[in-house]
Amino acid sequence: MANEKWGMVVDIDRCTGCQACVVACQSENNIPINEESHFKQRRPIEWIRVERYWEGEFPNIKARFIPVMCQHCDNAPCEPVCPVFATYHNEEGLNVQVYNRCIGTRFCANNCPYQVRFFNFWEPEWPESLKNQLNPDVTVRSRGIMEKCTFCVQRIRRVKRGERQGRTVEDDDRALNPACVNACPTDTLIFGDISDVMDAAHNDTPMPAEPKSRAGRAIAKELEEGGRGYGLFEDLGTRPNVIYLKKVDKDAAEAVAHD
Amino acid sequence: MPLELTRRRFLTLLGGSAASAVVFQACGVPPKELLVQAPLEMPEDMVTGLDNWYATLCRQCPTSEGIVVRVMEGRAKKVEGNVDYPINRGKHSARCEGGLQALYDPDRISGPLLRIGERGAGQWEEISWPDAISRLSYQLEQLNDRSQAVMVTDPVGAHLGTVVGSFVGKSGARHLSYEPLENTTLRSAIKAVFQQDVMPDFDLERTEYLLSFGADFLNTWVSPVRYSRGYGEFRQGDRERGTMVHVDSRFSMTAANADKWMQVPPGMEGALALSIAKVIIDGGKGDPAAVDLLTDGRRIDLSAYTPEEVARQTGLKAEDIVHVAEEFAGHGPRSLAIGGGSAAAQTNGLESLNAIYSLNYLIGSVGQPGGIVMNPGPPLGLPIAGAGSSFGEWRDLTSDMRSGGVKVMMVRGADPMYGLPADVGFREASYQVPFIFSFSGRMDDTTAMADLILPSHNYLEDWGSDVPDPGPGYQVLGFQQPVVRPFFESRGEFLGTKNFPDVLMAVAEALELDLELPGENFMAILQDGVRKLYEGGKGTVGQRSVGDYTTFEAFWNATLQHGLWEDESATYSGPAPAPTPLATVSSAAQAGAASTYPYRLVPFASTSLLDGSLSHLPWLQATPDPITTATWRTWVELSFGAADELGVREGDHVRVISEKGSIEALAYPTPASAKDIVSIPLGQGHKAGGRYTENRGFNVLSILSPLSVEGSNGLAWAATRVRIEKLDDNEKIPKFENTAQELAVDEGHRIIEITPNDS
Amino acid sequence: MAATAAVAVFFMAAWLDQPLPVFGFDEGPDQPIAFPHTVHVQDLGIDCTFCHRNVTSGDAATIPAVGLCMSCHVVMGKDKPEVDKLRDFQDSGQAIDWVRVHRVPDHVQFVHEAHVQRFSGTKTVVEAVRDTTTEIRLLEAEKIQPGARVGDTLDVLPSATCSICHGDVGSMIKVKQVRSLKMGDCVDCHRKNSAPTDCTTCHY
Repeated sequence: MANEKWGMVVDIDRCTGCQACVVACQSENNIPINEESHFKQRRPIEWIRVERYWEGEFPNIKARFIPVMCQHCDNAPCEPVCPVFATYHNEEGLNVQVYNRCIGTRFCANNCPYQVRFFNFWEPEWPESLKNQLNPDVTVRSRGIMEKCTFCVQRIRRVKRGERQGRTVEDDDRALNPACVNACPTDTLIFGDISDVMDAAHNDTPMPAEPKSRAGRAIAKELEEGGRGYGLFEDLGTRPNVIYLKKVDKDAAEAVAHD
Repeated sequence: MPLELTRRRFLTLLGGSAASAVVFQACGVPPKELLVQAPLEMPEDMVTGLDNWYATLCRQCPTSEGIVVRVMEGRAKKVEGNVDYPINRGKHSARCEGGLQALYDPDRISGPLLRIGERGAGQWEEISWPDAISRLSYQLEQLNDRSQAVMVTDPVGAHLGTVVGSFVGKSGARHLSYEPLENTTLRSAIKAVFQQDVMPDFDLERTEYLLSFGADFLNTWVSPVRYSRGYGEFRQGDRERGTMVHVDSRFSMTAANADKWMQVPPGMEGALALSIAKVIIDGGKGDPAAVDLLTDGRRIDLSAYTPEEVARQTGLKAEDIVHVAEEFAGHGPRSLAIGGGSAAAQTNGLESLNAIYSLNYLIGSVGQPGGIVMNPGPPLGLPIAGAGSSFGEWRDLTSDMRSGGVKVMMVRGADPMYGLPADVGFREASYQVPFIFSFSGRMDDTTAMADLILPSHNYLEDWGSDVPDPGPGYQVLGFQQPVVRPFFESRGEFLGTKNFPDVLMAVAEALELDLELPGENFMAILQDGVRKLYEGGKGTVGQRSVGDYTTFEAFWNATLQHGLWEDESATYSGPAPAPTPLATVSSAAQAGAASTYPYRLVPFASTSLLDGSLSHLPWLQATPDPITTATWRTWVELSFGAADELGVREGDHVRVISEKGSIEALAYPTPASAKDIVSIPLGQGHKAGGRYTENRGFNVLSILSPLSVEGSNGLAWAATRVRIEKLDDNEKIPKFENTAQELAVDEGHRIIEITPNDS
Repeated sequence: MAATAAVAVFFMAAWLDQPLPVFGFDEGPDQPIAFPHTVHVQDLGIDCTFCHRNVTSGDAATIPAVGLCMSCHVVMGKDKPEVDKLRDFQDSGQAIDWVRVHRVPDHVQFVHEAHVQRFSGTKTVVEAVRDTTTEIRLLEAEKIQPGARVGDTLDVLPSATCSICHGDVGSMIKVKQVRSLKMGDCVDCHRKNSAPTDCTTCHY
């Protein structure tokens, strides 16, 4: 049974830092409202966040933006440390967080090098009328539970249901894409089934001529033409399923220190 | 017993003992979840678990975007972009999502409110709609001189503009439109340079060299989603990567994404543009015919704008100016120069924009791929929203109010009491206006001072249309339809919210005015518009030609289903824009002496709150600012040097004082501020608006000096000088950075990897 | 002693949330209208999916709207007091607040359609089932079509599958829950029928 392997490509050269992905994710996934006090305690929850790094000095100062979400690592450091097995890797390549099993030890968040796991320190509350907006496809988490990006698995499930009823998923069907991918105005985020491409990459076989998804095509192109693809902290051996494409800066010749 | 029991639980727990039920009830299943409702009828979008997506327009920002809204069981759950709408093509901004929270805002006004008690005291009595409408009509009727009534709206166009225009015309009232960071100057420049009444489109997708001045176009300026789409293509589309140079006094989000940021003092943007022009002309690189016209046959002397001179005045390097000019010319005609924002908000703003936009003529990109694309006029002769009334007009109105010349003021979609500088005295003058009516659906600063509130629907519950401006180079008419029933519908027809143009029509009827509109209500007017499109036979809806729809009903349904009509063949057909001679740019005046007020204040529209109109939406309040990652409050960005001089560190409370007032802000020193520039975001400091807005931050617009832009009469909102005083308090800034501690990595490993090669 | 036992049983019952036949409470909850499935299903032969229409296309089977009931009851059953109650709801425009009998917690996303589709459709009758998508056990087949034999092809309607989890609703005067519907129940059935046991099948 050929399973999908879900992955994402993030092109940092396109990201402008606009935060559309952040709010789209909060809207889709019933993320608690981050109040001012949450920010002051440095505990807001943003399943996808845009990090801003400074580079250089005024007036040659630059700010770089990178969207970071759960990398759904094949070798995830968060998975082996959960004492109740509330997080594991499923056959579709997703790192799964099972809310009803979680007891909130927060060991997984401790272990995640990307800091993409969030703990509900407070009971999420919404005024009654705002509850109308909550997505019924996504569990509303209570205090004491870990949560993180799921690649909008509820959308994947819904599309599968549609497939069972005879509706086929087209390549890059927007119904399948996570909310962040559909929102991004610059097309920074690309999502899809990268099983064929990743298989070829790991087994050192030739890339498929027609990768199954747009994400697969982007990865195949990078691996063939070379140069821009990398994984965040890939040297740690986490084997993330999110491929980043480097920011291009013509003046950066000296600044780059990698091979 | 006090607690609710369900029969099932009662029976399974031995029937007699309620105590056990009490014990286990506390384990938290809300009683209403133990019910399944069967309504009278089950329309398709009320079935549990099934979702439907309805197309409409997002009206959170001035340029509407086409969206589709996911509706489940009659509730709006998610906003996504409408892939068919040519402005955003399926993409949307953070602000678009916020509309869902606006629909379900717990502090929405749920029925007409009549003021009891003093103005602004916040004491209201709910009255019925017929009562409200008759009160408004009565006041209008009583006027001897109908021009003593003023209708204040946001810039309105398309069918709403027709209704408002008709109402104003027939009733004799005056009409002013308001936007805090007005586009008057931008539109005047477009008119002067390109002879256009509608905004042109900028072909970012195909341009090779983008030179922008002041306009934060990736973030909040004019049509940011459209420009961002183009920017993505510009960077990594199937083409060679483009180069972007951004000139700005402040490090905006757009500056952060530029390949090169040229920091200039506010007001020097025009001089820099002329210097670039001079380099190009002197180097013989410009289009000869254009050069001739721009220099009026070589009669215009640009000798004051040598790179060396401008470098001296701006702090830039002369060779950088020359380099940019040469590159800009080298990529012509696929180079593009745009300007706006803080560059337009100076006393010399119009002159600067004229110079900036004229650069396009110099390298021949006007009307060319990769350059300035002219837009045709709107379809069906509909009005465009255009820019707000100029600042000068607002000052005139205020003095008229002060002298008792305004007896009735009606306000819709605008908050001038919040947005106008306090020095103008609009709030004080409003006390001389006997009757103020607001159509707002929520309590904003102006509405809080109204005498009667006639609340409008939220845009997700409402009908509407829009002519996108800037369009995509051809005619488009977007349609807005209710995606959910009005939230307050259950309150009956005499309470709740209503569609604003319908209310205007009811008032007109009470005044026995014939508005000569093609419909009894707004939906009928829209339908008439769609009928005219159908009968016109041109254009397409959903990739099908209008002519292919066999019945009008099918066409109407398709139009609503896709959310728009467009005609790709209806492009600009007017005369080719012609350059006019360049004019020297006078130096920008600022308010406040440099000795007393050492810092130049550059306010900016917030990514999430825009000009303050979105401050009631918690998601947007919690959205980090791209540059500072700060949220929920008002901060002031200043350089490390300035912070040292003031003895200020991050989180210190400071007072920012201009000639006209002062506000407080949290200090946020950044590495990207010039020594003498401080920046404060718009958006907070509302006096009313609900739990997420009130008592939060400060309103930077209030302390601006009322300087005007020469020639356009717009507000020069970036021309105020300030001084800063440290206050005693310090608090942690609510911000997002430092939430995720950066893992200590080895030398050579970076989170953001950079390459000089575009593969 | 007996008191302690009673208390223990009482708490266990509440915890297990099970009806306790020994105390005679094996009937379902009272509903706003005493709708008898026996009359409609056994006597009149109405198919489950005639009323619970969305069971093959969505998450919830859905209780029908009042309008559906009235499509018959506008003329039928005029002498019955319960039908009068129905008519009152229709006239007043109020929604009927049925008491929910089957409920899974919020953190479970249960989709009827997947389950109904799995067990319905064209099946071959066999002694022992190896693949529920194409085969049906003889014992089950006989319930649907008496006289069915091994090797026959049977068209299993969606409504034939309802009783797997809901029991013989057609014979219930008051609908009651017959299976525990706890996670163990679900997972056991999934394992038996080689359905996915990945957590994100139901929990997301």
